[in-house]
Amino acid sequence: MSDWAAIKENKQVGEGVYRLRLTAPAIAAQAQPGQFIMLRVSHGLDPLLARPFSIHGVDGDDLLILYKVVGKGTRLLSMVRPGNKTLSLWGPLGRGFNLDVKRPVLVAGGMGIAPIVFLADTLLNQGRKKLAFVHGAVTGKALFGGSEELRTTLLGRDLEPYLASEVEGEERYYGLIGVALEPALSSFPDSSPCGGVLACGPLPMLKAVAQICARHKVPCQVSLEAPMACGLGACLGCVIPAAGGGYVRACQEGPVMDAALVDWERTKP
Amino acid sequence: MSQPNLAVTVGRQRPVHLKNPVIAASGTFGYGLEYLGQLDLGGLGGLVTKGVSLNPRQGNPPPRICETAAGMLNAIGLANVGLEVFLRDKLPALVPHGVPVVVNLYGESVAEFVELARALDQAPGVAALELNVSCPNVSGGGMAFGCQPGPVGEITSAVRAATELPLWVKLTPNVGDIVPIALAAQAAGADALSLINTLLGMAIDARNRRPRLGNVVGGLSGPAIKPVGLRMVWQVARSVDIPVVGMGGIISGEDAAEYLLAGASAVQVGTANFLDPAACRKVAEELAQFCQAQGMGDVNELVGGLEV
Ligand SMILES: Cc1cc2nc3c(=O)[nH]c(=O)nc-3n(C[C@H](O)[C@H](O)[C@H](O)COP(=O)(O)OP(=O)(O)OC[C@H]3O[C@@H](n4cnc5c(N)ncnc54)[C@H](O)[C@@H]3O)c2cc1C
Ligand SMILES: Cc1cc2nc3c(=O)[nH]c(=O)nc-3n(C[C@H](O)[C@H](O)[C@H](O)COP(=O)(O)O)c2cc1C
Ligand code: FES
Repeated sequence: MSDWAAIKENKQVGEGVYRLRLTAPAIAAQAQPGQFIMLRVSHGLDPLLARPFSIHGVDGDDLLILYKVVGKGTRLLSMVRPGNKTLSLWGPLGRGFNLDVKRPVLVAGGMGIAPIVFLADTLLNQGRKKLAFVHGAVTGKALFGGSEELRTTLLGRDLEPYLASEVEGEERYYGLIGVALEPALSSFPDSSPCGGVLACGPLPMLKAVAQICARHKVPCQVSLEAPMACGLGACLGCVIPAAGGGYVRACQEGPVMDAALVDWERTKP
Repeated sequence: MSQPNLAVTVGRQRPVHLKNPVIAASGTFGYGLEYLGQLDLGGLGGLVTKGVSLNPRQGNPPPRICETAAGMLNAIGLANVGLEVFLRDKLPALVPHGVPVVVNLYGESVAEFVELARALDQAPGVAALELNVSCPNVSGGGMAFGCQPGPVGEITSAVRAATELPLWVKLTPNVGDIVPIALAAQAAGADALSLINTLLGMAIDARNRRPRLGNVVGGLSGPAIKPVGLRMVWQVARSVDIPVVGMGGIISGEDAAEYLLAGASAVQVGTANFLDPAACRKVAEELAQFCQAQGMGDVNELVGGLEV
């Protein structure tokens, strides 16, 4: 149901990256990792449409969103001051990650870190140990959304991190995220291999991740982005080319989908 | 003061009774079922389904939507589940919710429109048919019918002969003079006219020299088109004797009041459902408040009340 949420915090945590804390008890109570909300960033007519954002975390009645300023809507959002200001939103929407995966590998590219943090939290709270966690960004500084706080928190948890950045020498480990994924997959003994990769990030990265998983015969779940209007499956605006022809709705059959159900050849960034 | 009467009736010979004049517009409300968790469908004045065609349609390649100043473009390409699945899965699930269901039809020939109408005539729970002779999205398709009085009259009379269901003909704004087209639909037996459909437009990403829509061109909707919708509803309403269902950019109760004043008997709300899934309910509530504030006991007092 659509609702008004009070803004408790809207804090810059990295270069162009902000963390939003909204009070939205009904959504917080139901949210699953990989699900998203539709958020109107202003009360005016321009920008008009709500913006889709993944759920980055749940803290009691509060919902956390981690977002990057990329255009008009996110720029306006970054200027919203907490206090008596409210924004309208609806959710939680779409299909989240299937958590029933033995020995998962989490993969986050760039701002794909936003839902992966909620996913990691949820899995760790289930009692999982030494979660394999692959994270890449264009520069080492942009890892963890550029947030020192998030870096410290995450690296302090029971994770096996594999970090990657495309600018050479900036990060200790790997270049492209795919290169980091290989050792993560190989870290599992042949007798108990990785049971699935759960990934979120830009389309070219997801495509590469899907290919690597196919080669290793590891099931792969990807969280996909598409422009959205309703977020409810009604407008048919958010479609992704489906394997075998036709389309599926990112907001309904996704955003998290089995990578094998996507026609990667027909997807365009 | 007590609550003003919001109930309206669209059509005289084959009347459709609505508990309030606010109807969800085709293509923005799916088959209604998508909105079940969002608002009480029974509280809506009515609901128009996504355009149904004889065979399922995959629709256009993405990107299919794009935001513009106070509006949006869409080139969905009339993707829909097709008649068979609609009759089997969608309509029976929707009817029990107690909302008048108007089925929007899309055909690529007169024969297709007739076949669709015949099938729906037999289906329980259909309040009216809305003929989409106006969708600008399919290359060479709907455009041709809706742009000239002749083809609009031809489709309308063929469908009229095939069903006793109330028949609403939905007109396109992408024409020079809409009045002769409205008159042709009336003469051919339409019970009401719905207008406007989306305005043909496009958006360009100058930095990479590409169109923003996969289909290059698409239909503009939302607050940006309200002045065009009002103008056309006013022109048509004063020229025909059948009721007009007005739409284009309605997001508030006062917007709806403007359309009623221009001569509409009821209104549809489209793009606003994307700003708030409960927009239809909100528009109806605000319309009631507007009437109350104006000291009116009945929303019908607004219809055609424009003082020029
Ligand atoms: C399911 C889902 C989850 C997302 N989660 C996050 C997140 O957690 N953090 C984050 O920073 N971003 C996330 N995004 C991307 C985010 O929605 C866009 O960055 C945002 O809509 C851009 O809005 P804008 O007005 O600043 O940009 P503009 O380019 O001005 O937006 C113009 C239009 O394009 C749409 N649009 C632009 N970029 C995207 C995009 N990448 N995906 C979908 N629509 C887009 C906008 O919604 C708007 O309708 C997510 C997208 C989806 C689909
Ligand atoms: C995403 C989208 C899909 C639409 N699909 C249809 C359709 O299938 N059939 C139809 O007759 N009109 C369709 N329309 C047009 C709307 O019903 C309405 O006429 C138009 O959007 C103007 O109203 P609005 O400004 O309130 O949105 C569609 C509009 C949108 C935005
Ligand atoms: S955003 Fe409307 S169907 Fe997905």
